[in-house]
Amino acid sequence: MATSAVRSAPASQVAKGEPRIRVRGLGKRYGTLEVFRNIDFDVGEREIVAIVGPSGCGKTTLLRCIDGLLPHDAGEIRVGDERVTEPIAGVAMVFQHFGLFPWKTVFENVAYGLRMAGAPKSEIERRVPEFIKLVGLSGFESAFPYQMSGGMQQRCGLARALAVEPNVLLMDEPFAAVDAQTREILQFELLHIWEQRPTAMIFVTHSIEEAVLLGHRVIVLKGRPSSIHETITIDLPNPRTRDTLREPRFAELREQVWGTLMREAREAEFHLER
Amino acid sequence: MIGKSTLQSTALRRHAPFWFSIFSGIAVWEIAGRSVSPAFMVPFSTTIARLWQLTVSGNFIPQLVDSGKLFFAGFGLALIIGMPLGLLLARIRILRVGVEPYIMLLYATPMVALIPFILSMMGFGFAPKLLVVFLFSVFPVLYNTVEGARSIKPELIEVAKSFRSSEWALWREVMLPYTLPYTMTGVRQAIGRALVGMIAAEFFLSATGLGQLIMSASQNFDTGGVFASILVIGLLGVGLTRLGLIIEQHFARWRQ
Repeated sequence: MATSAVRSAPASQVAKGEPRIRVRGLGKRYGTLEVFRNIDFDVGEREIVAIVGPSGCGKTTLLRCIDGLLPHDAGEIRVGDERVTEPIAGVAMVFQHFGLFPWKTVFENVAYGLRMAGAPKSEIERRVPEFIKLVGLSGFESAFPYQMSGGMQQRCGLARALAVEPNVLLMDEPFAAVDAQTREILQFELLHIWEQRPTAMIFVTHSIEEAVLLGHRVIVLKGRPSSIHETITIDLPNPRTRDTLREPRFAELREQVWGTLMREAREAEFHLER
Repeated sequence: MIGKSTLQSTALRRHAPFWFSIFSGIAVWEIAGRSVSPAFMVPFSTTIARLWQLTVSGNFIPQLVDSGKLFFAGFGLALIIGMPLGLLLARIRILRVGVEPYIMLLYATPMVALIPFILSMMGFGFAPKLLVVFLFSVFPVLYNTVEGARSIKPELIEVAKSFRSSEWALWREVMLPYTLPYTMTGVRQAIGRALVGMIAAEFFLSATGLGQLIMSASQNFDTGGVFASILVIGLLGVGLTRLGLIIEQHFARWRQ
């Protein structure tokens, strides 16, 4: 009965807003190895786009190109009106292995982005505790990363990215290095935080389930060199909650993405789920 | 229940082997010193008495200060040059490829072998001695700094770039704090080597400081003076190395 109620709220009602990120004809090669080609997609200013694909398909490379950390060889990336050739303001990345500075405390790690952006001290003192609280790390301000679990470290990584108040969040398999329970908790907390401060978000993941749960659209990268094989609109109701996982539609969409990947998976040796 | 006396006794038990070893060493020294000719060796008690005599007569402290100046000048120079150069070499690949073979060569070369060359080039002043201490101690600092800075995870550099760090901020916030514990390991090694360099310079170049004290005492069959000087140098080395370790641990407290 809950199902019919949710089905009546189609995803088309989601206000994605204007495109924040525009990727056109993007190509990347390392020497003679072509990683991907002809990548075209947009991300709305209040939209989460998940990118899935087999290991080595270049999804992390794609994300690094969008962040301006890696140069691209063809096409262009625009964030707002700016053409990306190097990291630009307003874009923040959350890293797979957290990327915390081990010699800095939680407070100092979260303050890092703000300091690099030249924020005055008073603003740092005010905003850092706010974001530490947002990710649930209050009380751990002076802890060093080695003293915390993987989940707590990634909360810190998330707070560091959020603290610069970006309008684009790039997530590079952020929950791949934490255990299953923590991963689930963090997924819903991320959704909760996103509801409070929606941004354009690209979420790269190995996990089909995670992609379907978080994404408003799921892009499937495939092939060598890889390209966008399919873009699947996830017409699940928002906000996504634990109940979403029990939706029959969730299972359908997960199977659809799975099927898209599996057609090729039979020929290649890779794991779809970690 | 653990009472206070139990805690004290465990502390005692932990330190007991240390003090037992020290006192046994002194006892062996004392006995050995008393059973051979004073031309070869003097016992611990004589050494301490001679050290006291030399200190009171004003012969010892000026020489110690003289050696100290040489040590800290050469060692300080090694730090000031070794650390930034090490970071620079780690960051600029082309420079490293060019310079590294020479660093490896000089790191492996016994520096004493260079002293005659330095003597012929620079003579007997303070500068050649400074150079000797510097050469003895700079390579451990340099080598460890380069290796440390090179071992930094590329992901951390990426994080810095992603947050639009300037090159200067990258050095200050990432390269330097990451590398400091490694540098300090080199600094600890350098302390011992700088002491060797100091004595070698004082022996083979113009005789000054503790080196001169040892040589003149030896020529005057003042075995007590020789042993007193050696004891002080040894304790100095241990003390400075301990200090280096404490500083190293301070900078490495973030490593699990």
